[in-house]
Amino acid sequence: MRKALALGVLLLLPATALALSAQEVMERAHRAFYYQGKDFKARVLMRLISKAGRERLRELVMLRKNYPQGRQKYYIYFFRPVDVRGMSLLIHKHPGRDDDRWLFIPALGMVKRVAARDKHSSFAGSDFTYEDVSGRDPGDDTHVLLRREPLQGRPTYVIKSTPKEEAFYTYKISWIDQESFLPLKEEYYGPGDRLLKVFSADKVEHIQGLPTVLQRTMRDAETGHRTEVSFTQVRYNQGLKDALFSERYLRRPPMRWLR
Amino acid sequence: MHQVVLKLVELSLRRPRLVIALSLGISLALASQLPRMRIDTDPENMLRQEEPVRVFHRQVKETFGIKELLVLGIVRQDGIFKPDTLERITRITAEVKRLPGVVGRDVESLSSTNNVVAREGVLHVRPPLLQAPQGQEGLQRLRAEVLENPLFRDRLVSSHGQAAAIYIPILQKDMAHEVAQQVAQICRRILGPEEEFYLAGLPLAEDTFGSEMFKQMAVVAPLAGAFLMALMYLIFRSLLPVVASMAVAMLAVLCSMGAMVALGFEVHIMSSMIPVFLMPIAVCDAVHVLSDLRQRLGPGRDRREVLQKLYRALAKPMLYTSLTTAVGFSMLAWAKIPPVRVFGLFVALGVVVAWLLSMSLLPAMLSLWARPARLPQQEGSPLLGRLGRLCLRGAKPLVALLALGILFSLWGIKALRVNDNPVKWFKPHHPVRVADGVLNRLMGGTYISYLVIEGSETGAMKEPQVLAYLQALQEHLQLHPLVGKTTSVVDVLKRINYVLHDQEEAFNRLPEDRRTVGQYLFLYLMSSAPDELEEFLDYPQQRANVWVQLRSGDNRDMQAVVSHLEAFLKDNPPPAGIKAPQWSGLPYLNITWQALMVKGMLQATVGSWWAILLLLIAQFRSFWWGLLSMLPLALAVLFSYAMVGYAGKDYDMPIAVCSTLALGLGVDFAIHFVHRFRDRFSRERALEPTLSWSMGGEPALAIFRNALVVGLGFLPLMLSTLTPYVTVGLFFGSITFSAGLATLLFLPALVVAGRKVLLKEEPR
Repeated sequence: MRKALALGVLLLLPATALALSAQEVMERAHRAFYYQGKDFKARVLMRLISKAGRERLRELVMLRKNYPQGRQKYYIYFFRPVDVRGMSLLIHKHPGRDDDRWLFIPALGMVKRVAARDKHSSFAGSDFTYEDVSGRDPGDDTHVLLRREPLQGRPTYVIKSTPKEEAFYTYKISWIDQESFLPLKEEYYGPGDRLLKVFSADKVEHIQGLPTVLQRTMRDAETGHRTEVSFTQVRYNQGLKDALFSERYLRRPPMRWLR
Repeated sequence: MHQVVLKLVELSLRRPRLVIALSLGISLALASQLPRMRIDTDPENMLRQEEPVRVFHRQVKETFGIKELLVLGIVRQDGIFKPDTLERITRITAEVKRLPGVVGRDVESLSSTNNVVAREGVLHVRPPLLQAPQGQEGLQRLRAEVLENPLFRDRLVSSHGQAAAIYIPILQKDMAHEVAQQVAQICRRILGPEEEFYLAGLPLAEDTFGSEMFKQMAVVAPLAGAFLMALMYLIFRSLLPVVASMAVAMLAVLCSMGAMVALGFEVHIMSSMIPVFLMPIAVCDAVHVLSDLRQRLGPGRDRREVLQKLYRALAKPMLYTSLTTAVGFSMLAWAKIPPVRVFGLFVALGVVVAWLLSMSLLPAMLSLWARPARLPQQEGSPLLGRLGRLCLRGAKPLVALLALGILFSLWGIKALRVNDNPVKWFKPHHPVRVADGVLNRLMGGTYISYLVIEGSETGAMKEPQVLAYLQALQEHLQLHPLVGKTTSVVDVLKRINYVLHDQEEAFNRLPEDRRTVGQYLFLYLMSSAPDELEEFLDYPQQRANVWVQLRSGDNRDMQAVVSHLEAFLKDNPPPAGIKAPQWSGLPYLNITWQALMVKGMLQATVGSWWAILLLLIAQFRSFWWGLLSMLPLALAVLFSYAMVGYAGKDYDMPIAVCSTLALGLGVDFAIHFVHRFRDRFSRERALEPTLSWSMGGEPALAIFRNALVVGLGFLPLMLSTLTPYVTVGLFFGSITFSAGLATLLFLPALVVAGRKVLLKEEPR
């Protein structure tokens, strides 16, 4: 019995070790990409570009603060399109359950709580989903390390992630920088190995010593539509107060933080 | 020309084996191209690529990200709001989304399309059917939720709750049939005995038609060939005529289809009928030759010499009959409809090839194998002879009858109703047609047209007065009984307003200022799939798209809706800076090509009428003979169309095509008759004996046989499961047959009545 057990452990060990490392890479990537710093502030310009080259703009400020157990709070204030200037969005993210969202609609002077089961819905009409903005729990997929290879001169782990439950993709291939653990590229595939979406980190810089993706693109492989996002005025650890992430500030935008 | 032809006949008689080998060789070389055949089943290709309405249709599809849709309906008589049915709908949706060829994330269904509802001040964004509710209360709530929302009612659920629909966008129109088959498989596997499913949508009808067409070609064409053989055997009661004439027909079909494929043309609905059309026409010359051969052959006579004499007598009428037929078909090249052009030109080519073969292969075969025993006993027909005597005595009443008939027919033609519907290309019990009926009865309509309204500057569609105009326009459209539902950005805005105000009925209206509109649209973007708004509004918000769902795919009905809108536009011009709305979508494309078809066919018919008339006048060297030869035919054609009008049958694509074809083919009877009659008359110099020879002897019998062959030869088309084939088979057959009969009845009467002008009789 003991021998059998030992044999079993021995047989399982290498596989487990490999799976663990892929899992670990993805968890570190998740932290590096979505949880960098204690808090975070950036001015975000999104260019939504159709296949024919027509363009729409979104301009917003994003504030983010980390909390224990992977919880996060986001405050998003829209500057453009001009129609929606002043619209703001508050997201309380709780790993393992649906986010809480509140929305301020300036034309009505009204705050609405939104209970959304739509992590795969588009964020503000872009090719990024809410999940792309605030992160998908690495525990929702099983990860396998396919290989290590250089991408744009950077050594990367190439990892295949398969959703445990139904998702909009059947699997995803990620190229994770071995040093910064930032995802440099992601390809989402649908049934029949059809390429659905491609993410790329186009410009990475160290801000306050923290590697940060300053330019990124999500391209819809099926429609040819893409969204290019650039982050400016990025600051970490500014000491954002908890109160900023409350309903009160939706109605009264904290202009100090939005400039 | 005549001399060259006789040289060809002579050569064929001298070197029969060489000629046979050559014709076989050339035909087989062309036939070797057939495996490269490509099929084009898209009725959209009835219009040229550069046709403005098609260009606009492509633009609309691109601007608004519109894909072709299949509509899957799941019906349960006692209502779909049952836990098991709802659970099955969820599973089917999930599986359909994963099918190759389906744009998965754009699949619309109760379990995948987000709904926004307000509950106790909280906005809930999620598909109504996230999990099948179990208790009565949950079921009631779900039912109330979806039926209350105009973006769901009659679109995703029928208003009485008996049917749910799943809209399946496909990557390309030509995948419709294949995707539908896989969807059907999923449904059969998942659904229980309580539920039924139906698949509809124009792309499906059109693509299914294509795939069935392929089968029809493989089944009906050989069947038509076999039927024709049997018919020839019944007429001649011996094998050689059957073999000889069928050889001509088969090789003509192989050559023309082979040439078409070799030149890179795709086989379209029309050209798939080429074999069936060509075969009965191709044997006509052979029937004349064979009818005449037996009486000339006798013991001790040299076959080659007999054949040479025979061809000398028949070569001219055969040349002219083939020429007129070819001209009739090639007039179709005038139509602005590419597949019709191809059809016309390649049938014309086939006719010419058949004629060439009748001048080479046929004499070659006969010179080798013809023996009296292998040919039918030559006899005249006593019945036709009696008919001839009737013409002689009753010429004037007959001519009066002809004139009356033409008048009566012209009257009936005014009753013709132009209409077509790709779904009606299937017989009533075909699944496509059944699904169409059921879903259009229960839901808001599976025929989707688009109405595009455009402003002069970006953001024009956010102006409240423009939106109010759109709303009024939609309300007017919806007054039409066949408009099942219209949806536009107006409905989206009203819905958002309503939900944001905790679903208070007072707010179920358009917001009042531009800024609010802008913010609502942004909100909608944030709660839906990225391109859901794009279906209604273009990028710069300068153009809006109204989805108009029709319950009928009849072109006539679409036309009525178009006129219905025009009436509105006359009294309610669009606000300043807004262009008049423009239609697009498959139903609209269909009425466009129908209009072209009707006009094109009319032009082609009139054109070929004149061309044939001129040909006849030239050939007979007489205006009156030429004109008279056309009259019985005119009656036959007009009468057939009048019957279509009186019977209330729609004048559709296949019926339209028949007119031109019938003209070219039907005049053959008159050509043969006039030619043989005048030939005889030049020797007899007297009307009565010439007429009794023409009618009682070989010429009338050969004409009658040919009328029988072409008339009955199209009948196998009726076995087809596709109605255009059935229509052509029945209608074309009856036109040509009646043209034959009218020629035999009225032409002699006309000759008798006009003997003073036509004939230089010598007193005996």
